[in-house]
Parts: sequence; structure tokens; C-alpha cells
Amino acid sequence: MKLRIYADWIITLCILMLSVFGLFFLFSASDGNIDAVLKQLAYIILGFILFFIIAQFDPENFRRLAYLLLGASFLLMVITAIFGPEINGAQRWIRLAGFSFQSSELFKISLPLTMATFLQFKKLPISMRDTFVCLFVIGISALTVAIQPDLGTSLLVALSGLFVLFLAGLSWPFIGITFGILVISSPFIWNNLLRPFQKERILTLFNPESDPFGSGWNIIQSRIAIGSGGISGKGYGEGSQTHFNFLPETETDFIFAVIAEEFGFIGVLVILSLFLILSLRTLYFGLNARDRFCRLVVGGFLLTFLFNLLVNISMVIGLIPVVGMPLPFLSKGGSSMITLFILFGIIMSIGTHKTLMQR
Amino acid sequence: MQFEERHKERNSFSNRILVSFIVFTILFLAVLGRIFYLQISTSETYLTAAESNRTYTVPVQTLRGEIFDRNGNLLIGNRATFDLVTVPAQIEDLDVFIEQISEIMPLSVQSIEDYKNLFNSKALYNRELVLLKDLSEEEIAAFQVRSFRFPGAFVGKRYRRISEYPELFSHALGYTSRASATFTNLPGVPSRNWRDAEYVYASGLINGQIGLEKIYNESLSGSFGKKIYEIDAKGRLHNLIRIIDGKPGEDLYTSLDLNAQLAAQKAINGKRGAVVAIHLATGGLSVLYSSPSFSINEFANGIGQQTLDQVIQDVNKPLFNRALKGRYPPASSIKPAIALYGLNANLTSWDRKIEDPGYFKLPEDGRIYRGWRKGGHGTVDLTKALVQSSNTYFFDLAYQSDIDQLTNHLANMGFGKSLCIDCFDEDQGLLPTPEWKYAQYNKGWFKGDTVNMGVGQGYILATPIQLAYYASILANKGEALLPHFGLETSIQATAVEASNSNWSRIHQALELVVEGPSGTANRLSELKSFKVAAKTGTAELVSLDSKEAYAEVRSDVLQRDHAIIIAFGPLPNPEYAVSVVIENGESGGLVAGPVAIEVLKALIER
Repeated sequence: MKLRIYADWIITLCILMLSVFGLFFLFSASDGNIDAVLKQLAYIILGFILFFIIAQFDPENFRRLAYLLLGASFLLMVITAIFGPEINGAQRWIRLAGFSFQSSELFKISLPLTMATFLQFKKLPISMRDTFVCLFVIGISALTVAIQPDLGTSLLVALSGLFVLFLAGLSWPFIGITFGILVISSPFIWNNLLRPFQKERILTLFNPESDPFGSGWNIIQSRIAIGSGGISGKGYGEGSQTHFNFLPETETDFIFAVIAEEFGFIGVLVILSLFLILSLRTLYFGLNARDRFCRLVVGGFLLTFLFNLLVNISMVIGLIPVVGMPLPFLSKGGSSMITLFILFGIIMSIGTHKTLMQR
Repeated sequence: MQFEERHKERNSFSNRILVSFIVFTILFLAVLGRIFYLQISTSETYLTAAESNRTYTVPVQTLRGEIFDRNGNLLIGNRATFDLVTVPAQIEDLDVFIEQISEIMPLSVQSIEDYKNLFNSKALYNRELVLLKDLSEEEIAAFQVRSFRFPGAFVGKRYRRISEYPELFSHALGYTSRASATFTNLPGVPSRNWRDAEYVYASGLINGQIGLEKIYNESLSGSFGKKIYEIDAKGRLHNLIRIIDGKPGEDLYTSLDLNAQLAAQKAINGKRGAVVAIHLATGGLSVLYSSPSFSINEFANGIGQQTLDQVIQDVNKPLFNRALKGRYPPASSIKPAIALYGLNANLTSWDRKIEDPGYFKLPEDGRIYRGWRKGGHGTVDLTKALVQSSNTYFFDLAYQSDIDQLTNHLANMGFGKSLCIDCFDEDQGLLPTPEWKYAQYNKGWFKGDTVNMGVGQGYILATPIQLAYYASILANKGEALLPHFGLETSIQATAVEASNSNWSRIHQALELVVEGPSGTANRLSELKSFKVAAKTGTAELVSLDSKEAYAEVRSDVLQRDHAIIIAFGPLPNPEYAVSVVIENGESGGLVAGPVAIEVLKALIER
């Protein structure tokens, strides 16, 4: 039998370019901290290896592993809660052989897989009972992440499941009623569920100048960084907002502002184009996947990915309140990066493994 | 699942993913629009904001202008001193650093404590901090050879405002002292940046407080320059990007004369009093000296509390500017002015003679006004009345005067108003009028008040600068140039009108005061090589009826008469006019006179 390599050059090239750009931006954002860049490079190499290996597996394997992975996710959360070190008042990490891993990341893989596996043979529209089973699993998963606490990841986890549920054929009346309830209960949520600092973040968004050195600082400085970049930017390593510490979190959540400041609108267009090509290719894979499971998995991943991207950029440009969510492939980070590579490994596996009939 | 159902499911998926994708695309386009708005439409605003974020403008002091006398002698200037300046951010171990520095130069416990208190915040923001001020040459040398051990310290040049003659020009020049930075408004520099201003003076921001230093503060100060640094969000300074030079202060060339001022100081010899001399051609103040004096160097460079208390509590009031603010009865020195009035008003003439029995009896109530010589001066004409200073003659003349016309005339001669163009805090003296007396004492003007004014006693009070100005009008035969410190010709005030022959005879009479055998200041005649005109005055502080009574009064030094003289010379073409007041000096001719002569000599014989 002839050895076949399952790979898609468009996806591979996009991811490669994005992550190399990421290293490049990181070098500037960290003021030339070569150690941070090398560490990130190590993650990227590891990520690429995983990406390629995973793409070689037939999607059937992911289906089989789905429930097991979800179970493993919960187990990891328990282990984290017991053994994980507390950093800044949150327990999110597991240390293993010198490596730290953010345990909740696994949900981003296991929950959509589980949902797709559970829903792959269900009739349309999805029955009430199945809907509630799914919502229950999603809710539990998101909740275990939320109590760490890690609201940003918790939101992404919940959405990664909900998107699959939606794509699988969640009934429109159900969606309509749920939204209606959400809208009606929003004053209640505002008054009772949101913590004061969360409310402040939302209010600051509308009037950051009310507290320019406090809660409005990030929004104002980020806006200045982006706006002052102009068309072609200030040049690599020349961003004064970045290098004189006016921008917060330049290496992670606010890396987009660094790009905008140093490379301007042109740089922004280049990066967004890469994301667009990557998304279109993924959409193509989703539409042409060989079965419903594959469709749901790719679709769920894609929408979660787009949501993540949209939230990060909207936050950086000051359209939504500050939430801790990294920019895919560009923000510094190990766990989230590896997770992304795995997700796209699965996408590429699905995109390249066709049934005999399709071939 | 049936084929049909699979088909339906696939369509449903496709629709939903496409709709979702389109929704995301729209949202991303909105985001892109927002980025376009920020980066293209309003980029300019944010560029400015980023620039003001990134830069920190620090005011940089320029050197203050120096003050010179009319011959180019430096009266007060800037002297470089050296401070040990440190950069706390570059000092690794504070205690070790202090210990090592202490080995080279002595540090007081207090200065170490002050230094340590400020150390951390200066280190955090990467600012400089002075450890020790005014290093000696030995200390500088000792530091320089070991400077490699102290990367965080250097010897910095700092200036001080120093006069070679610290007590000589105190009341003319005034002094500078440390000022609050809020006094200065520099465009483009927020007020909070002033805490990081770079000063060239050891005292930091200095401003003139009194005297010429105050009056010409603006031109002497120049304007601050700017240093623009890069700064990070935490307020740490990084690179110096740009230096914008300030305008250095302008030097000030004054009419003052160092030698004449020295002569005044020497002649007055610490007695309480004042000397003012005016250059007749320009109205320039050649001498303005008030005695006793104080050290402007101490005031400018941080005076100790003890010294300050001493100066303030000194009974001789060295801080009081007698030349500009001392109020003295002009006494007999006013007589030439009264004579001019009498001549102009046709109340008297050079030929008119009266008998002087030693007193004047007021016809209304028989009240007696006494002269200074018992028995009087016999038959007296105007010349003799001026030369020998007959009170009776001037009592009589004043008695005939109209008080409103008389005060008007005296006002033209400078009495009762401030005159100097650029003096600091000049007093107006007092020229009494009936209106003034009514307002002040709720009493009517008596004829006796006018009579008293005829000999410069009673309510009238003049400052030494007024007396000098008055003398300058006499010397200039009516031309009145307002006194000032400039070298150019001053502003002309209304001239005092009199006929040429009257002016000449006034000059002749006043010349006889010094040069004539019976003049009240004839002992001055020998003291100089040129001819001088003068009028003496002896201002009574206590009104007395007899010489015997004065002997009693004398026992209290502070009740003794003030000695006054106005003089001008050299005759016949006078160049300078001078006034001297010696408080409680008793004799205008004997005590004030020699001072005036020394000053005129220094000015004329230079």
C-alpha cells in the first residue's frame, strides 16, 4: 500500500505564516526577549508536530475517543482543583514534568467532539430531551471552568458546545425562546449575577475617559496605539505605546494593538486576510466533510475560532469590555497554542480523509 | 438514516454554517471599519496622543543676567559652585554608597537622612538627587580620582548668585531667593513637570524679591529651555530626544557707580542714614546707599534662621531701605525751594531785608517760632538767610504764602510723591495740605502750619531720594529728570520755572553755604578741590523752645536731631546732586556734609 500523507497546504501555510508572524511580533512586544521567543518557538514546533500527526488519523478515531476525552477533561479539572497551584487567585494550571498546562483547554477539543458524536445520528430537529442532555453537559463543562475562575475560557467552552448543537439542528423556536428569556432577564443578570468589577468594565467601555488612569487606561492606551499606527505603522520595534509600557499585556491579549501600532492598517489587513483564508478553507472542509460528525466538528471548531478572534480584536479596539481571551496563533501562550494546533489537526484530518465514495 | 433525511440534514447544516459565517463576516467588517476609523480617519489625534504619552518635557533653567555699574564693574553675578549629584537608579547598595562617600567627604547625619528619604522615589523614576552641596576643591579632587568607584555619582556645576560687595548695593539691587515653580508658566510644560525641572542654580528656581533684582526680574531671568525625554508609562525617563535652548537672562547695566557707592559706605561708616546721588545729565542714580546694610549673598543663597533673626531684630533695622522709604523732615534744606516760591510769587526779592531777632512771632496769636541762633542773625536779606539759614526770614516768607500755591510748588520739586522710575517700593514721603490735615486730624489748617513748613518742619516729610531729586532740580536750574537706574536720559517731569537771574543767585547763595566764611557748611570747603553748592538741615524730632531743653533731649540718642544736607557740584556747571541724611546726626553741616563731599569727590574726581 502506498504511504499517503494527509495534509492541506493552504491550512498549513496559513498557520505557519501566522505563527511565524506571532514569533516576530512577540520579539518586539517583549522588548527583544529572546528567551520568550524561543520558548514560544518550542511550543509552535511541538504544535506543528501534533498538528501533522493528528491529521494522519482517520476522523473515526476522534469519534471513538470523544467521550473518553470529555471524561479526561473532567478528571483534569478535578486534579487541577486538588493539586494545581494557585496563581493570582485562580487555579488553572497543572504542572507535569516541568511543563505547565492549562487544563480547561482540553474541553475546547473534547466538548465539540462529544456533542458531534452524541448528535450525529439524531433526527431533525433535535428533540427537547436531546437538547437538554446537551445543554446539561455543556453547562457542567463550562461551570467547572468558570469556578476556577476563568470566565473567558468558560465562555469559549460553552460556545464550542453550543455551536455544534446549533449546527446539528437545534430547533429555531427553542433558539428564539431562549434569546427572548435572555433579553428579558438581562436587568436581573446585570443586577444580581455580574460582579462590580465586571459591571465597571462594561461601563468604562462607553466612557473610558471617566477614569483614564484606572479602568479606562487599557481602552484608551490601546486605542491610541492602534490609531497612531496609521496606514503603514511606526515600524518594527518602533511602537512607543508598546515599548514604553503604555499598552497592557502586549505579549498576550493585546498583541493585536502591537501589530496595529507597528505595522498600521496594512499590517492589520495582512493578518486579517490570513485569518480569512484559513476560515474559508475550514468552511470549505466543513461543507464538504464526509459525514455529519465531521461536518459538526469542523463547523463547531470554525465558529468557536471565529468567535475567539472576533472577541479578542473587538476588545483590543475598544468595542467590547476587556475579557481575557488570546488572539489565536499570535498571542504568547503554550496551552492555547497547542490546543489550536490540535483543533486544526483534526480539521485537516477531516478535510483530507474522504470516504471511498467521495474519492 | 435515510438518504432523504441525510440530504435534509446536510442542507440544514450548510444553511446554518453559511448564515453564521456571513454574520461573522459582517461583524468582522464592522471591526475593520472601526480599525479604519482609528488608523486612517482619526489617526492624527492618536499620533498626537501617543507623542505626548511618549515624551516628557522638562524645563531647563538658564543663567540669570548679571548686574553691572555704569563702568562695567560687576555688582552681582553668577558664581559656579559644585555639588555631588547622584543618580539613585544606578546605585546598587545605598548604605555601601553612603559609607564609601563618607570616607571622602563629611556628610551630616541630617543630610544622609534627607538623602535616604528621597532615594527610592528618585531611583524609581530615574531622576537625579543631590547628596552634598558646595563641594570644596579638595572634596572635588578626592572624588574625581575615585569616581570610577561611583558610577551613580558625578560632580555637577551649580551656580549661586554672588556679589563681591555683599553689603554695598543691598538696597539698590535687592536679592533673589528660591521661588515656587508655580510662578513660572512655560508653554507646553504641564505644571506637574516642574518637579523635575533642571536647575543651574543651587537654590533652584530663583526670583528677584526686592530691588532691581525684582523690578527687572523678567529680563534678568530670561526664559527656561526645554529638554524632551522619552518616558515610559511608569514615569521612568529614558533617552533625551531633544534640547530646546532657553533665552539666557539679559545683563543689566545700571547708572550706579561702584567707587562713589564705596565712598558713601566708607563715609557714613555704619551710622544710620542714607545717601542718594543723581547724575544730572541723565537722572541716573549714581549712589543709592542705606545704612546699615545686610548681606544679599546670604539672602540669595540660603540664610540661616539665626542670622535671619539677627538681621530682622537688629534695632538699627538694616533691612529698612532708608534711601527710598526713610521719612525725614527736610528741615532747612527746604529753604531754597521756599525762596524760589517767594521770588516767583513776588513775596520777596533779593533786595528785601528784614530784622531777625532770633524768633518769629505769629501775628494772629503771638506764638513764638524760634531760629537756631539765639539772638538771631541781625539784618537779613535772602542770600544771607540761605547762607546762614535764618529761620525767621523763612517763617516770615512762609507766613505770607498761600498754602495751596506753596504745596503745588513743592510738589513740582518732588515732595510728596514717588519719583523713581525703576525703584522697588519707594515711599511718597508726606507733603501736607489743608485737605490732608482735615482728613487726618479733623482739624483746620493753621497759619502756623504754613510757617513751620517754611523751615521744613511740622508735618512735611521727605525721603532721601526726594531730597536728591530736589537738589538735582536746583542744580539743573529747574529741569527735572526723574531718577532711575538706567544709563540713558530719563523721563522729564514738569520743569520748575524761575528767571535765569534767580537761578544764578540761588546757586551763588548755596555756594556760599559751603564756600563762604559764614556758611553753615563752610568747614567742607577745605575737603575738596572743586566748588560745591549745598544747603544743610537739622531736623528737629522734638519741638522745643530753648537750647537748654535740647540738652536734656540729647541724652536719648534716638531723639537727637537728624543731620541733612543736599549738595551739588562742581560749580559753575554741576554734574551731580546728592542728598545725605544721618539719623540723629545732629548737624547737617558737620555730620552729613562730609559724607556728601566724599561722594561728590568720588563722582567728580574719579
